[in-house]
Amino acid sequence: MGTLGRKRELLERGRFKYNFERMIYFNRDARMAFSVEFIEDHDPEELERYIGENSAAKDWCFHFNEQPSDSVKRELVNDLA
Amino acid sequence: MAERTVEDRLREEYFKLLPDIRFASEQLETKIRHCVLPVSRRPDKHEQVIVTSRIKDCESAIDALRRDKEVRKFNQEQPDLYTLTDLKDLAGVRVLVFPEARLHELNATLAEQFSDWVPNHVMDAEESGDPLAFTYYGRLDAVTNVFAEFQVVSMLIGQFWDVEHSVMYKPSPQYRGVARSLEMQECTHNVYRALKEFEKTFEKLIESP
Repeated sequence: MGTLGRKRELLERGRFKYNFERMIYFNRDARMAFSVEFIEDHDPEELERYIGENSAAKDWCFHFNEQPSDSVKRELVNDLA
Repeated sequence: MAERTVEDRLREEYFKLLPDIRFASEQLETKIRHCVLPVSRRPDKHEQVIVTSRIKDCESAIDALRRDKEVRKFNQEQPDLYTLTDLKDLAGVRVLVFPEARLHELNATLAEQFSDWVPNHVMDAEESGDPLAFTYYGRLDAVTNVFAEFQVVSMLIGQFWDVEHSVMYKPSPQYRGVARSLEMQECTHNVYRALKEFEKTFEKLIESP
């Protein structure tokens, strides 16, 4: 299996869904989201580590190469809710 | 009166730039046709070189600028952050080549002629070999306010992109983000692999005695 397939499997296993308008993978229960740029720029091992991070946090965790502003984060949370 | 949005400002900018975008497209196409003429005028029976040009339409340009941002959204409080002149492909020329051997020859010719242009090749997300498309952007002497881009690409892959674009994304631009999903990237990689294999097999058979 190639790199794309390994990353896809990790995200599937972590129950992430894809939002094609925002181009992010997200998991509402874990309150975690990854931009496609972030996923593309990190290898599967790193991605697995990020997915496995403690997801008991109250606030959403956005894995972006460039952190979105607070107002954008609020919009994203509304979109993904 | 309603506040003008970033999109409104960009639409105004687009129509101010449009004559220059058109001119850039025509000038680049003419220059490239001239450069490829020595190769394209003496093709073998099975060989083809097709040069096409296009200009990005207004909404596609705004959408491309928006999609280029990781948050896919303009900050309406900072409209000055955005300009369509940042886009590298407002005017674009594509050179479709069959078979691959000719592609490398034409790429070398054009890379030499446009040596001050910036390479921005399209790579297969799954393979680190040759680029899928040799792509360069830069500014033309006569049109310095917009970037233009040209691509040298295998005819089979270029035609696949045209079909994919016209069937899936042109009528429904909101689905452009679908192509970046890992699932679609895997499918697309498999198409590239099949097209490359198809071309290699064809070349091998016609070259054998």
